[in-house]
Amino acid sequence: MLDKIIEKSRIKSPWIYHVNAGSCNGCDIELIALLGPRFDVERFGVKLTGTPKHADIVFVTGPVTAQTKDRMLRVISQVPDPKVIVSLGSCPMSCNVFKGSYSVVGPLDKWVPVDVSIGGCPPKPEAMIDGLIKALDILKEKRGVK
Amino acid sequence: MKFPYIKEAVGNIFKNPVTEKYPFKKVELPEGFRGKIEFDETKCIGCGICIKVCAASAITKTVETTREGRKICMEFNMGSCTFCSFCSDFCPKSAIHLSNEYSMIKTADENNMIVKGSFINILPPKPQTAAAKAGEKKE
Repeated sequence: MLDKIIEKSRIKSPWIYHVNAGSCNGCDIELIALLGPRFDVERFGVKLTGTPKHADIVFVTGPVTAQTKDRMLRVISQVPDPKVIVSLGSCPMSCNVFKGSYSVVGPLDKWVPVDVSIGGCPPKPEAMIDGLIKALDILKEKRGVK
Repeated sequence: MKFPYIKEAVGNIFKNPVTEKYPFKKVELPEGFRGKIEFDETKCIGCGICIKVCAASAITKTVETTREGRKICMEFNMGSCTFCSFCSDFCPKSAIHLSNEYSMIKTADENNMIVKGSFINILPPKPQTAAAKAGEKKE
């Protein structure tokens, strides 16, 4: 009984963690705008955490450079299951204009399973909210809560 | 004693919050917003200039020969796009247009990242060579 209540209430406050895998900072700025007073995703209980061990949803930006790849994998593996990985912007989906570069090692889904990809360069904060709502639905499914 | 911002502080008590209630309320986009590509396949001539100017190489063109003529298929991968609008600027027939749609989300079930369009291009008949013409005359 108590476990069920805890499971249900965990859905109401999904904490997010933001990994920068060689991003140009465009998507990062838009993600910060999402947490500010104008778009305020804290309406959905979303909060940015400083450590991956507290997170439920991971936002990855950037085309995964060779330098950040190992660190990104280490950070994502520290996020407890069930987790939802969201890729933000065009870069993690297809490397965007950096594809073919010697320092870029492929799109994100080459390394980790991506649940939701949000397109745009950078995506509008509204589009990010749409993606976040999709991610919440997936998190609900993964947790087995209806 | 002075209270420098007392006017604003009191005024803000009676104001609504600045938060946009987004999923429940639609947004108005600014003019000239560059969103998802809209491709008009009836206008396209398959010249391939959009492919040349695309920095992210998000556009692919595939040509298939069918009985009616060459079937040209243009595919725009929005997951690779930078939304620079070079393709629509350089298109000689203005077949590409960047629309107002901003929400592009790909999950396991749905994928609205790819904009596709195909048309059939009929080549003009080959001009007859001189030798063939001479052969016709003899007959």
